[in-house]
Amino acid sequence: MLRPAAAYRFLAQQPQPRPALGGAWLGWRRPLLVAVVLGCTMSLITSASLTLHLAGPATFYWGFVPLAEIAALAAVCRRTRRTGPFGRTVDLFFAGHGPWLFWLIGLCGIWSFVPPIQAYDFTRVWLYGAGAIVIVWSAYIDFCFFRFAMGKKPARAGGDLLVQRLVSWTIVVAVFGGPAIVPEVAARLGVSFGP
Amino acid sequence: MTALRWVAACLILASLAAGTVADTRPADARLILGGYHVMAVDFHVHSFPLSWATLAPGETAMEARREGLDAIAIVGHNHVWASKAGRWFSQMAGGPLVLTGEEIVSAHYHLLAIGIDSTIDWRQPAARAIEQIHRQGGVAIAAHPIAQYWPAYDAQAKRALDGAEVLHPIAYGSGELAAQLRQFYNSAPLTAIGDSDYHGMGPMGLCRTYVFSTAETQAGILDAVRRGRTVVYERAGRAYGDAELIRLAAADGRLPRIASGAASGAAPAAGFLSAFSRIAGILGLTVAAVAGLATTRSS
Repeated sequence: MLRPAAAYRFLAQQPQPRPALGGAWLGWRRPLLVAVVLGCTMSLITSASLTLHLAGPATFYWGFVPLAEIAALAAVCRRTRRTGPFGRTVDLFFAGHGPWLFWLIGLCGIWSFVPPIQAYDFTRVWLYGAGAIVIVWSAYIDFCFFRFAMGKKPARAGGDLLVQRLVSWTIVVAVFGGPAIVPEVAARLGVSFGP
Repeated sequence: MTALRWVAACLILASLAAGTVADTRPADARLILGGYHVMAVDFHVHSFPLSWATLAPGETAMEARREGLDAIAIVGHNHVWASKAGRWFSQMAGGPLVLTGEEIVSAHYHLLAIGIDSTIDWRQPAARAIEQIHRQGGVAIAAHPIAQYWPAYDAQAKRALDGAEVLHPIAYGSGELAAQLRQFYNSAPLTAIGDSDYHGMGPMGLCRTYVFSTAETQAGILDAVRRGRTVVYERAGRAYGDAELIRLAAADGRLPRIASGAASGAAPAAGFLSAFSRIAGILGLTVAAVAGLATTRSS
């Protein structure tokens, strides 16, 4: 996470690991970790504790986020006609999700230990301040993934990163935000609709 | 690394067990005052997906019960299906009353349409949207009407509005925004509404409305809102709404006491198990992230 270029250079030279649960597990273990952290986050930010009735279902339906990312990665691999085990590609890609996971855990910390009235203010800073840092840092990590783990030239790695972000974020924002996105964007742009 | 993964799994499982055991439903404290059922209602609750919220309609309804709410309106952003799903789930699971509704999110105003069955188009002036809400038998509540939304509410729209959010969590973060909510509420004869605008962070019902209803039904609640039979308590104890009902509640003493507990915005749930759950949960997630993302030869 801290030295992604060196880490991905190193990993690209390593043989594919053989997890105890079999080869297919390799492609699912880290996406599953992301889904579990997301599900637990939803429980902690709502009730300041981990409860089965919140974390269980939330892990299931927030699993759409890693699925959207896998779909976007598949789109990139298809675009570049890359061959090789896709499970290994997914595993390496999700190894770069540290900034997002720690950002979510930070959000859990705010809503678990700060009284709600103050937590709203802390959250604003965390969402926009720390969120901006995470967006930039994770983009750099994923650029290093495409550059060194996938062996792309810098421009191509940048293009792959752009496609991956475009596809996955479009899905996530559409599912999360829904039909209010258009009027919200219109409000920010000062555009009018209707009579 | 394998040892770390076991530590993470044990911490998360222990946290889940403690949190689930500590997660108790508050005792039913139904209150009858002046012949009315006093119901704690949050008219502004969102659910996943399509409304920037984190919990699905079913979990949202159950969370309302945990927060001691008697009814909630799940208001999807420009859609009503989430409220219908929430109502169905809550009926199946014996949860609180879920009112159908929509938050009409336009570029110029946000409007709660409570008690409607069909989605109302956001691409129209507020007055026309309110007319359509009434045609469906619903009530129209101005959502967080801070100054930027005032131009959308012309005289015709204001006359037609049933209520306005005079209390919303933004009021606790900014004195200026709190004053704007009060100014809008005082600018017309509107029913006082307090809502949490719940998106999944923090407690649902942090701001809530006490509705004096003749029956514990959607029709009873809508009728009470139309007739202005509500009381909203600020954290500091200040009350908004029907002056007669405020006096009645103050003389009785129970409602202001209940309200001060609900709206206190105090620290997250106390108790050893709750505290253990949150500490072990966060530690467990941190260890899981470190161990799960580590890229070593042994991974």
